[in-house]
Amino acid sequence: MSGERRSETTGERRSETTGERRKETTGERRTDPRTNGSSPASVDEPGTTVSGRGEADGRLDGEDLVLSYPGSDGPVVDGESITAKAGAVTALVGPNGSGKSTLLKGLADQLEPDSGSVLVDGRAIQSFDKKELARTVGLLSQESTSPNSITVEDLVYHGRYPHRGFFESTTEADERAVDRAIELAGCGHLRDREVGSLSGGQKQLAWIAMVLAQDTDVLLLDEPTTFLDLRHQLEVMEIVETLREESDITVIVVLHDIQQAARLADEMVALEEGAIRARGTPEEVVTEELLAEVFEVDAEVESTPRGPRIEPLRPRHDDDRERPTERVARPDSGDS
Amino acid sequence: MATEIPSETDATSRREQWLDWFDGSLFTLVVGSLAVTVAGGLVQVSFGAFSMSIVEAWQAVFDPNVVFDPRAWEAFLLGGEVPEMNERSLIVWNIRLPRVFVGALVGMNLAVSGAIFQAVTRNELASPFILGVSSGAGLAILLTLVVFSGLAAFLPVVASVGGAIAFLIVYAIAWKNGTSPVRLVLAGVIVGTVFSSLQTALFFFADNIGVVQSAIAWTTGSLTGTDWEQVRMVLPWTAVAMLLALISSRQLNVLLLGEQTASSLGMSVEKVRFALSGVAVLAAAASIAVAGIVGFVGLIVPHVVRNVVGSDYKKLVVGCLFAGPALMVAADVGARLALNPVQIPVGIVTGLVGGPYFLYLMRKQEQMGEI
Repeated sequence: MSGERRSETTGERRSETTGERRKETTGERRTDPRTNGSSPASVDEPGTTVSGRGEADGRLDGEDLVLSYPGSDGPVVDGESITAKAGAVTALVGPNGSGKSTLLKGLADQLEPDSGSVLVDGRAIQSFDKKELARTVGLLSQESTSPNSITVEDLVYHGRYPHRGFFESTTEADERAVDRAIELAGCGHLRDREVGSLSGGQKQLAWIAMVLAQDTDVLLLDEPTTFLDLRHQLEVMEIVETLREESDITVIVVLHDIQQAARLADEMVALEEGAIRARGTPEEVVTEELLAEVFEVDAEVESTPRGPRIEPLRPRHDDDRERPTERVARPDSGDS
Repeated sequence: MATEIPSETDATSRREQWLDWFDGSLFTLVVGSLAVTVAGGLVQVSFGAFSMSIVEAWQAVFDPNVVFDPRAWEAFLLGGEVPEMNERSLIVWNIRLPRVFVGALVGMNLAVSGAIFQAVTRNELASPFILGVSSGAGLAILLTLVVFSGLAAFLPVVASVGGAIAFLIVYAIAWKNGTSPVRLVLAGVIVGTVFSSLQTALFFFADNIGVVQSAIAWTTGSLTGTDWEQVRMVLPWTAVAMLLALISSRQLNVLLLGEQTASSLGMSVEKVRFALSGVAVLAAAASIAVAGIVGFVGLIVPHVVRNVVGSDYKKLVVGCLFAGPALMVAADVGARLALNPVQIPVGIVTGLVGGPYFLYLMRKQEQMGEI
């Protein structure tokens, strides 16, 4: 029930605020490609969401990060810097093995950098106590396992772990946070179900509720939509959209689907072989050239009010390397 | 009025939590286990070399002169002169009952220890002895009996210390920028293999059959000849280990979510894992000190309890506290009375019961292994 109600309200809100939101978070851009510059009236309107709340906590900086796994040869991410603006959604995209998840792990302090530093609101992440960090930065890993017989509610309560002392039992604040997280993730109807009896998509909603119950300033999501059916992919995206519009939480999300990323993100960062190849708004990052070079696909990109729309045409092969990317835009000329 | 409302809701939610925690299946399990333990205990006190009728034996058990005599309890639990009592009470209270108590405490320790190790290694097939504890204790026992026979008086302590040392070796081998459940189990196998070989080799140097029998009794686990002294030896460690296990149940639950999730929830996984393993080794070592290496209890009991109450460690640990003694006391009835007058090590009975039960589980359950 609560899930349905939520989706209605966010639906309305989205249509009202998309235009404005883009502008605040992308800074100086005067015309919004989503509205094709046709709504200049909204340019000077005060921010309705993120910046409207003043200085939000949750800015996350990775500076000159070199990340590698023990026992592997060479770093996976080699000296990259990344900034996630407070309250905005930053999407990391890139082909398989490009270091997206590794970068995310480094930002979450789950992987100690060989060099470089991670700062939360300017403070080095190593100076945080473990539980303190878990109250500030939440991470949803790609594969999460749990005992089958645990209920969704109990799982979500585990999200309160960093807020509880060793002997403390749950407080009212814990209950409130859990209720809020469950409602936000739209899994109220699953509350008393056992996790083992849920579908993959439902499980993912439960896990998202758990990480939301952590009540952090920064939320890192590692491919939250992979392996889910279309409906649950949209459910997950809707949760992130709600977070973007109704809370000042900073979200960094790794996504496989560039289209989803473009729709969801304020900022996009494209990685290839551990190096950042492009960063900026979805309109700036999602171009035919980038798709050809980084993702090695020929695709058509079309600017729509909902952001760039991508139509993948075919994979590029090694002998396509020399082919100018301009030709990619015209699929007919590709196979002469 | 306004100030009263939150406190009322608080009270109801706390009551709900209590009810939720103490759910029906756990209640049934606890009551059933208590019934089995008490029944097994009564059978144990009723039969033996000194013949008395069942009624006489039970009268002796509930003899108010003993049960309500603080001096008697002082003698039992702290050592010292046992106050005068009639012969039947003396037999029951001084010889037959302590064995039941030791059995119950050992069962409790092994069950909880196994439950903890199953969470630490995230493997349903883990037992208290998975991380080398049994092979270390076994080697220490053989070394004491065969080589350093002067230390025989300290055998219980030596056995426990041997188990603890083996555990530390396992941890050291598994450590490489931290541990992982798989590496810990593999290191346990490595240490177990080497130590068991050494232990078997030592049998060849045993002088006489008495030493071999004694060694077998210790390495298969036996409650023969246990006394109040053993109760006094195991009780304090049991109390500490069980208390620690109960208050760690939330840590165990979070550990079950996997290392990565536990870590991102702010748990210092390595520290918690080592501390919890330490608690489990303490419990296992305490049971080894009085009963030797009793197999299968620590593997099966958590399994049975999990099947009944689910994998929430708040319930699981409590269930193990009651179900462990039930299995151990019942098995010891068989060990002591089945082949009367010959007593066999209780570990043999638990193995004979445990194997078929495991076979049954394997046939019944689709998936076994990961929790």
